[in-house]
Amino acid sequence: MILMVILLPVIAGVLVFLLPFKKRSHMELFLETLVILNSVLVWSLLLHRPTEIFTLANFTGNLSISFKVDGMSMVFGGLVSALWPLATLYAFEYMTKEEHEKVFFMFYTMTYGVTLGISLAANLLTMYFFYELLTLVTVPLVMHTLTREAILASRKYLYYSLGGAAFAFIGLIFIIIYGSTTDFVLGGVLDLDKVGNMTNVLLLIYVMAFMGFGVKAAICPFNSWLPDAGVAPTPVTALLHAVAVVKSGAFAIIRLTYYSFGTEFLKGTWAQNAVMLVVMFTIVYGCSRAVKETHLKRRLAYSTISNLSYILFGVTIMTPLGMVGALTHLIFHAIMKISSFFCAGAIMHQTDRHYVHELDGMGYKMPAVFGVFTVSAFALMGVPGLAGFVSKWNLAEAAVESGNVIAFGGIACLLVSALLTAIYMLTIVVRAFFPGKNFDMSTLEGIKDPNWKMLVPLFIFTFFIILFGFHSASIVEFFSDVAAGVY
Amino acid sequence: MYYMILAILFPILAGTYLLVRKEMKNRRNLLITVGAALIITTALVAAALCFSGNGMLTLFSLTDKLPIIFKVDEISVIFSVMTVIIFVCAGFFSFEYMKHEEKEKRYYGFYMIVFGILIALCFAGNLITFYLFFEMLTLSSMPLVLHNGSREAILAGLKYLFYSLCGAYMALFGLYFIERYGNTLTFSPGGVISAAAAAEHGGILLGVAMAMLLGFGVKAGMFPMHAWLPTAHPVAPAPASAVLSAVIVKAGILAIVRVVYYIFGASFLRGTWVQTAWMVLALITVFMGSMLAYREPVLKKRLAYSTVSQLSYILFGLAVMDTGSVTGSLLHVLSHGFIKSALFLCAGAIIYMTGKTRVEELRGIGKEMPLLMWCYTIVSLGLIGIPPTGGFVSKWYLAEGALSSGIPVFDWLGPVILLVSALLTAGYLLPVTIQGFFPGADYDYRTFQKKEPSWFMTIPVLILTVLSVFIGLFPNGLVNYLMQIIEKIV
Repeated sequence: MILMVILLPVIAGVLVFLLPFKKRSHMELFLETLVILNSVLVWSLLLHRPTEIFTLANFTGNLSISFKVDGMSMVFGGLVSALWPLATLYAFEYMTKEEHEKVFFMFYTMTYGVTLGISLAANLLTMYFFYELLTLVTVPLVMHTLTREAILASRKYLYYSLGGAAFAFIGLIFIIIYGSTTDFVLGGVLDLDKVGNMTNVLLLIYVMAFMGFGVKAAICPFNSWLPDAGVAPTPVTALLHAVAVVKSGAFAIIRLTYYSFGTEFLKGTWAQNAVMLVVMFTIVYGCSRAVKETHLKRRLAYSTISNLSYILFGVTIMTPLGMVGALTHLIFHAIMKISSFFCAGAIMHQTDRHYVHELDGMGYKMPAVFGVFTVSAFALMGVPGLAGFVSKWNLAEAAVESGNVIAFGGIACLLVSALLTAIYMLTIVVRAFFPGKNFDMSTLEGIKDPNWKMLVPLFIFTFFIILFGFHSASIVEFFSDVAAGVY
Repeated sequence: MYYMILAILFPILAGTYLLVRKEMKNRRNLLITVGAALIITTALVAAALCFSGNGMLTLFSLTDKLPIIFKVDEISVIFSVMTVIIFVCAGFFSFEYMKHEEKEKRYYGFYMIVFGILIALCFAGNLITFYLFFEMLTLSSMPLVLHNGSREAILAGLKYLFYSLCGAYMALFGLYFIERYGNTLTFSPGGVISAAAAAEHGGILLGVAMAMLLGFGVKAGMFPMHAWLPTAHPVAPAPASAVLSAVIVKAGILAIVRVVYYIFGASFLRGTWVQTAWMVLALITVFMGSMLAYREPVLKKRLAYSTVSQLSYILFGLAVMDTGSVTGSLLHVLSHGFIKSALFLCAGAIIYMTGKTRVEELRGIGKEMPLLMWCYTIVSLGLIGIPPTGGFVSKWYLAEGALSSGIPVFDWLGPVILLVSALLTAGYLLPVTIQGFFPGADYDYRTFQKKEPSWFMTIPVLILTVLSVFIGLFPNGLVNYLMQIIEKIV
């Protein structure tokens, strides 16, 4: 069953490419059905968790490719499988304006399987394998338009990711040598007898592996691939570069910190301080760049950089509460950011406008899209009553509870970042709804909201942003259980 | 109990309805709708105040630790009564004034939403509820600031937004710590910080208290974050400036009252560096606001600077943490509210009837609109603090409280600065009256014509003027009522 949910999207992707569809709508129907089917399978898998580990292949010693459903897999797998059908639906409409969509849908769907592979991996080696695979299947998506810009961006993406993975690989080796197993065990697998007086070396390795996986999570100074990769079609930017790929990086770091090295080993060391400072810097840096950026999608990409580091900030607090905060933001940010990216995509699709200053007065022409965008902007800022407030609250609560003075500084970074978020998001909202008194509305003639395929995903996301804002107790409780190792 | 929810939800829903519905063909219908909404809200607030008793109403929880709670206490009564009176007066004033502005429906929509949110702030029973509506207040009052859509107004709106959010986030920083160290965010007279928590985390809690004072102080225009106020208030339509300057900034005051007296507790903060820093900032603001107002030629901007200065009177009184000074502060909340809204409405009426915005253009205005200028003069005297107006009583209590507080240096420095500022207040408000009624020998009486505005404009101003005098004439009942609260919290 586990293998099936990973393979099914891959096979479906290949089939889409090979099968001769008479009409486009047939392909849409075929693909959407399979994606939804897979999501249903994933959810039933997550709800009836098989407790044993499923091993596909055994290499030497304790190295194996194996899968397991634990708490973290449930969180990440659940997120990915909930978003994918909606993003696919959106992509059908969006891709009508782009070429060779079959290739696009092939890789797009294959990515689904690979991402699930990351989330269901039972040990570091398996996760590493799918992590590399993820880079490879997403490169064609970045390259999709085949402009010079896109090719350069995808090359950059490839080099950055592979380079990062190499560093992560070093971490893997050390875990193999100094750990009792490479399986993921909450609390870490390091064997303290083996470690002996190598503590500092291992801490250094941890920092290296953190930075290595951090490339995908776009921590500063390895962030520049992400805004560049925005040349890809918006469904890719929205789903992969705001959720699947970048959150795989964050996910891998959670695995590394909580399940491999273990917080007990890391907490209070210089390594914790070092990574926390890097993450805090990225939070502020990403937002500042977003304020400066005038290209809408690039602005959102910088916002993603900053928000990913919110998640990592939660991780680096290294307490169960910190993990709860990180998981909350992992999920909530995914919904908020995919929502704002889809709005950006809808604007580009309907009007071909890419820059912030071109959006004057559009709120009156595309009320649905800009309404959704406003909600997501408020949520990202952390207005109470919306999802972003809750996740920020959990992160800050964890930071206060940890009593770590650097983490107190981190709260300040979160709030500075919230202010900058308000600046870069609300300037757009104000432009769209208050274009000024001399603005000539006739320049917007003929612009209207997109059709239902684009709007339905947007409305669903907005609904969840508000729902989680007002009622988050049950889902946060679930995260607490995950962080406490109940699953 | 549920009247509280109705009183909050009704204006917000009415405003939202106005925003989303189609443009009304007939202006009359719009005005009837708005007028009815204002009156119904008033009735609902009255019902909420009368029937809520002391009960707490918990609506739901944002997370397991963050319940949304409403409660009516004495502070709520003071602030909500002031809010309702000023909103209704300025609302009816708008009926005439907004004739010469566009997009009226949008204006009334946000006006009603802001109204509801302010009521919610008054009724909030814990800090998270307060914070929730505090941010909503910023977001929904911004459209009032940038209403006329000129580039200047839009920039002013953004400045307002970013300053306010910056303040809100500084306050939010404190929320995280209080929730942890105080274990609750519910307002309770005397504070929630236990002696043990104060001993263990005293240093960081004081830092947090300062951050929250500065943060909420942004809304109240406290130095160093006051710069948005003189930019944002004058560009709004006059009735909106009136509510911004008289009521919305008071949300900052209310926040500080709640945080200092209901969360940290006066005993925790008294005698600390936070109190000293706060008094210094408040006094700087008092003096600086008056000076800037004195040299400002545009009437509405002058009034905005005056707000900066007068709000810090209130803040100074709160900072002294003495029974008398806090009484003075709460009285000044009311009298400044009525006076400043009356002043802004007068300025609005002048703009509406004559188009004049600068003080030196207002020669002879008293002859043209005598009734309005009489009101202007009376409330000006109130703001300066001349008996028997409301301003006199509140300043008396402020000065007396400061003198008897026994805080070294500030017990005499405070009253001195308040007096100097009162002198400056006379200097910046009375020239309008003097030039207005005594235009001088060379004034050309041939161009003279009566320009008294319609009753929609004069009656609200009259009501506010009468109220401001009334507080001054019969302060005893009010003071006794305030004493009940203050005894509990100081």
